[in-house]
Amino acid sequence: MTATQMPPAVRPSGAAAAKKAAGRRREGAAWVFLSPWVLGACVLTLLPMAVSLYLSFTDYDLFNPPNWVGLRNYTQMFTEDPRYWRSVVTTLTYVVIAVPLQLGLALVVALALKNMRRGRGFYRSAFYAPSLLGASMSIALVWRAVFNDGGTVDNLLGTGGWVNRPGWSLLAVALLTVWQFGAPMVIFLAGLQQIPGELYEAAEVDGAGKWRQFLSITVPMLSPVIFFNVVLQTIQAFQVFTPAFAVSAGKGGPADSTLVYTLYLYDRAFVASHMGYASAMAWVLLVVIGAVTAVLFRTSRSWVFYASEGER
Amino acid sequence: MAAVLALCVVLSGCSGEETGGGKVVLQYTWWGNPDRAARTEEAVALFEERHPGVEVQTSFAGYEAYKQKLATQAAGGDAPDVMQLDYRMIDQYASGGVLLDLRGEVRTEDIERGLLATGVVDGKQYAIPQGRGTETVVYDTKAWERSGVPLPREGWTWDQWADAMRELREKTGRPGGTDPGQSEDAFEVWLRGQGKELYTDDRRLGFDADDLAEWWTFTDRLRREGAVSPAEQTTQLDGAVENTPLGRGTAISDFNWDAPSSGYLALVEGGVTLAPMPSAGDGTPGQYFKPSMFMGVGASTPHAKRAAQLVDFLVNDPDAAKILGATRGIPVNETIREDIAPELKDFDKTIADFQASLDGTLNAPPKAPPSGDSALQTTFQRDYDQVSYERMSPREAAENYITEAKAELRS
Amino acid sequence: MTTSSTVATRKPVAWRRLALHVGCLAALLVMLYPLAWLLATSVKPADEVIASLDLLPSRLEWSNYTTALDGVNDVSVWQLLGNSLFIAGGAVIGNVLSCSLAAYAFARLRFRLRGPLFAFMIATIMLPHHAVLIPQYIIFNQLGMVNTYWPLILPKFLATEAFFVFLIVQFMRGLPRELEEAARIDGCGPFGSFFRVILPLTRPALITTAIFTFIWTWNDFFTQLIYLFSPEKFTLTLALRSFVDASSTSAFGPMFAMSVIALLPIVLFFLAFQRFLVEGMASSGIKG
Repeated sequence: MTATQMPPAVRPSGAAAAKKAAGRRREGAAWVFLSPWVLGACVLTLLPMAVSLYLSFTDYDLFNPPNWVGLRNYTQMFTEDPRYWRSVVTTLTYVVIAVPLQLGLALVVALALKNMRRGRGFYRSAFYAPSLLGASMSIALVWRAVFNDGGTVDNLLGTGGWVNRPGWSLLAVALLTVWQFGAPMVIFLAGLQQIPGELYEAAEVDGAGKWRQFLSITVPMLSPVIFFNVVLQTIQAFQVFTPAFAVSAGKGGPADSTLVYTLYLYDRAFVASHMGYASAMAWVLLVVIGAVTAVLFRTSRSWVFYASEGER
Repeated sequence: MAAVLALCVVLSGCSGEETGGGKVVLQYTWWGNPDRAARTEEAVALFEERHPGVEVQTSFAGYEAYKQKLATQAAGGDAPDVMQLDYRMIDQYASGGVLLDLRGEVRTEDIERGLLATGVVDGKQYAIPQGRGTETVVYDTKAWERSGVPLPREGWTWDQWADAMRELREKTGRPGGTDPGQSEDAFEVWLRGQGKELYTDDRRLGFDADDLAEWWTFTDRLRREGAVSPAEQTTQLDGAVENTPLGRGTAISDFNWDAPSSGYLALVEGGVTLAPMPSAGDGTPGQYFKPSMFMGVGASTPHAKRAAQLVDFLVNDPDAAKILGATRGIPVNETIREDIAPELKDFDKTIADFQASLDGTLNAPPKAPPSGDSALQTTFQRDYDQVSYERMSPREAAENYITEAKAELRS
Repeated sequence: MTTSSTVATRKPVAWRRLALHVGCLAALLVMLYPLAWLLATSVKPADEVIASLDLLPSRLEWSNYTTALDGVNDVSVWQLLGNSLFIAGGAVIGNVLSCSLAAYAFARLRFRLRGPLFAFMIATIMLPHHAVLIPQYIIFNQLGMVNTYWPLILPKFLATEAFFVFLIVQFMRGLPRELEEAARIDGCGPFGSFFRVILPLTRPALITTAIFTFIWTWNDFFTQLIYLFSPEKFTLTLALRSFVDASSTSAFGPMFAMSVIALLPIVLFFLAFQRFLVEGMASSGIKG
């Protein structure tokens, strides 16, 4: 069943009408395939999203019926809340640190494991192990112990504790994310599995070196998966919550240094019960992430290669 | 469109009151630990025995998880029939229409007047207190005794406390205690000593920037002198005794509530002693007995009568009290408190004795704080972080806090 | 199936391989250190859990484990495990099925609104879930599904996790277009070519989806907490984390023990299924 041995398809030449009918049939088929998603999207996704958009224009406090306040939440956020802006800066810093580090590490490890003949299963499991934990209370405590005054990191590097110093704490949060790089690694590995080996054999016959093979086969063939990881990890990094919550025991401290956007949003929504304000924050975040993602999709046209489209 | 969505949000669903085999099913939720769970189950079983037509479904979780689950349920119009509530939740849940007025439904004759009043919002008895607790200066008995610094005594003042912290630092090389600057609770005790309150009766701030700046200047100086814990340690407080300087063995004392102080026993080799909170210079005590938890009944329950009976049973029944002991704090029902006192053991007895030593010397507790308080508690810590990391002066931070607090209480 | 490396390069390759192993092991040493800490702490006596900076406990305190399990006395551990398996298993089936269906439509079929709908799907993961928590709760409450497993499983059958749809889309787009053309010539409609041609070739992505869904559902304390009420419906994760409450007593030791217990099933699951990751289509007869 090897794909590449199939003869190139011959386009069935027919009347325009026949083509149209086929198109309609395939359109129908598409909706059948999509039907579970459409149902879920309407009832479980679109409806709650619409409600939260509505709530962002209200003073909803979880306990009393919402009152329409127009743009007040938005203006308050942008003009009267210095903590909001600090959380924006903190989040951007986090994204810039965590995403490249995590993806870079995941890709390097995945490539190393790809070429390994013995012990691959062991390494894969071992490197994935931290990601099995999620961010439970106990891993939070471990992290706080390792990065505390007199903890392992302090002993090795002599920097003092990280989790309790405002200049360092965000790095400890980012490292918790980086440490759990198992998910992108496994996705990279799955992507590498899908690259037909014949391509490498052919390249080797042509006398291409390892580096050349990497650039001309691995990178383009893996590009859809690289793209997936970049988009998803960026989206998730903008929404980072659990590691910051874990390391700072939910407070975003010390001195607000780990108060990332979503942690502050959570704080507004469920500690302060300003769900209206929190909803407004959520929609601003959606717009920002949407813009960043749109840019990523635009750039993808120049570097992501889809075999199904046959060209760059 | 907007109206429909609004309706969707406020619409209360039917709570899960399906009657299993003709029985009335009550949902009862609380937060706590396995010990409290075991005793509660036993008491509930006794209730079911006495009321054969009723089945009580119980469910519990840790405090943080519980708090959020309850808020979600309440927002979804799906609050349980009987729920355990914290002091800080009362105002919000009551004014949000989640709770039922229990006046006349539950016997309250034996409950201390002052404590009972904390469950009243806008003249209605929305919550019944179950147990009481109070703040304490808890200290490492052996370390403090060995240092030669005079031990805390009843009626000591904040200045004497500060001197003790400095001397402890000198004698032991460790800070005397946790920096109380971050704690809204400690500030409240200090403030009440000055004859003021955190909040006025009409839900406004009961103090101004001068008061707070004075308090933070006081703690800031002690911190700079090394008499109380440094910012790097104070910032790691998360409610668990393990993460306090005393629990880690890096300080001699701590401020805490009496019941959770039992946790230090496993951590502090020299044992711990509970001392009263310091008073103002003129001897006015700021300390007070606070209800450690309340019970409330969901406004949408179809079985209000049964639910109220369960509350009444857990608060007033002598047999239930014997089973429950002090697992929800020392009971507020005075008859029951006297009944079970001889049976208390270990740290429960320590707490009961500590509270008995304060009985009659303290002023009545304040009303339950307004809804904004849960947010302000964190704001308080955040603003003090700015002081302890020396990014703001106590005055600047205090003014910040006042601005934020006023905005919070207005909304 | 044999490697095409030539004799001349064998020696450097062997060295390189050794260096690779050494590098990986060194990296693992650093990475697994916190896990070792977690394991060691689970058998530490209470006064060493936080205060002591030594990795190894001074004596082994197995009672942490019995305390952690004591809490779940009311409901048997087996029932909790069964509940967890039921939910995670249902989620895996739901996600693999519904996400691959939706992904196929997005990746390989042409239909009106494809672009906007795809953009909308990606947008659904951009809104922080805290903002939609309450509306979702209200919907499930209106449907009478609170305190049942429906809120935990139904969304998976409706492809609400755009992460996996997008993942499978990316893998499907990586397959050459000629595949379906050929299948069509053989008389396959869209359904035939989906099940017979595309699905088998997307196996690495499907296995990845299955593994992640299982682990993430297993660990999803929060959703389980919000939607489940009766203790007999609790999952292992929910029961362990509810019953060991750090806020009311000194219980860090048992909490670490609990983490280890809760972790065991997913470790076993991962060990059992991770090898399927390598057995994707492309690995047959090919060495990467």
